[in-house]
Amino acid sequence: MTCQDLRDSYELYALGLLDGEEKREIDEHLARNCVDCQKQLKNALAVNALLLSQAPQVVPPSRLKRRVMASVGRERSGFAWIAALAAAAAVIVALWLGIQQRTTDRELSKARLDLQQSAGERDRLEQALTFLNQPETRQVNFGLDKPAPPRGNFFLNPRLGVLLIASNLPALPAGKAYELWVIPKGDAPRPAGTFQADPQGTAMHILNGTVDSSVTLAVTVEPEAGSPAPTSGILFSAGF
Amino acid sequence: MLARLIPVSLAFALLQVALRFRDDADLARRLRERDAGAMRELYDHYGRLIYSLIQRMVRNSAAAEDLVQETFLRIWNRIPAFDQERGALGPWVLTVARNRAIDYLRSSDGRMSAGALDLDRLEHPGQFCDFDNRALSLDRARMLKEAFEKLTPNQKTVIELAYYEGLSQTEMADRMQQPLGTIKTWVRSALKVLREQLTEAATV
Repeated sequence: MTCQDLRDSYELYALGLLDGEEKREIDEHLARNCVDCQKQLKNALAVNALLLSQAPQVVPPSRLKRRVMASVGRERSGFAWIAALAAAAAVIVALWLGIQQRTTDRELSKARLDLQQSAGERDRLEQALTFLNQPETRQVNFGLDKPAPPRGNFFLNPRLGVLLIASNLPALPAGKAYELWVIPKGDAPRPAGTFQADPQGTAMHILNGTVDSSVTLAVTVEPEAGSPAPTSGILFSAGF
Repeated sequence: MLARLIPVSLAFALLQVALRFRDDADLARRLRERDAGAMRELYDHYGRLIYSLIQRMVRNSAAAEDLVQETFLRIWNRIPAFDQERGALGPWVLTVARNRAIDYLRSSDGRMSAGALDLDRLEHPGQFCDFDNRALSLDRARMLKEAFEKLTPNQKTVIELAYYEGLSQTEMADRMQQPLGTIKTWVRSALKVLREQLTEAATV
């Protein structure tokens, strides 16, 4: 097909709604840097933007701005908070040790453990932020369309692995944990680590390592030690 | 339905797209420098436009808020790949917002995302540079609105289904119970009218 034959198709192409022969043709024209096609695509993107901007105007609730700002600022303020907490804990421990000469070894080791946990949590958040900031990381949400389900997002980065952030997770009986599964197309689920939610039902789980870019991710409830294959129904899942 | 609602809101919406365009380079530079104030400014520029678009598409306020948040988070995370000198933030932000809403619509009604990878590729910030400065002008927006009002009801419907519901032409044929050929004719003729109106506007 010539560029002229394709001239009515660029808007749909730019919307991701074109398939079949015409899509392949435009892909090929663009891949060989066809100047006419690039110009047509640019015009189509402008037409699309102008049309999309004509949705009837609704005023967003004022809390939405706070939410948006918190979602990009929270990571940074979160780190600052944890770092400050760790620093404050260190100062308190030091003062406390100075004053309480007869502090028992058991209490000292507990303080050290608290510090390690703070530092560990900070490392995990830093790891998550690194993950989110990679341009090739892709995101699929789950649960948004259900009334009161677990909700959240899977982030998949073929080079780094999988990051799961979930909320509204149901409380688990003792001895049970959530387990993540990576399910390659046409293959059996592979275990990808167990995790627990906090008392509010929120959890973050990171799977490190390379992952196929086209997989389904799912979570089930399993015994605390994890299972080699799922033993219960899928709690939530999403496909990449 | 779109035509009925456009006149009331058009000027404000289009002012947002058209007039902000010139500030994009500086705003994009500050976003790349992780300036939280720039993020606040980005929200002030585009928040209402994006919320309106997403709300129109998903028709669910709670979901719309989640998706607006995802849109801005994605812009924040991907701004390093945006060409601050040549890029146009408006079209990019609108495309990212539409794609979030389309993902949501597809996952809610079980049309799992055959084109998810394509959407991802088509919203890459590299696509949104080197626009003609006049591409998003208020005049062109007004021309487009006038042209849209001249479309037949069927043409308006297919444009709405494509832009706001993300239906392919085959899906539209199912939904409207019309032959695929008829749908294609409506879509193409509608887009031709809109496009030609803009071309005329640019050459006047």
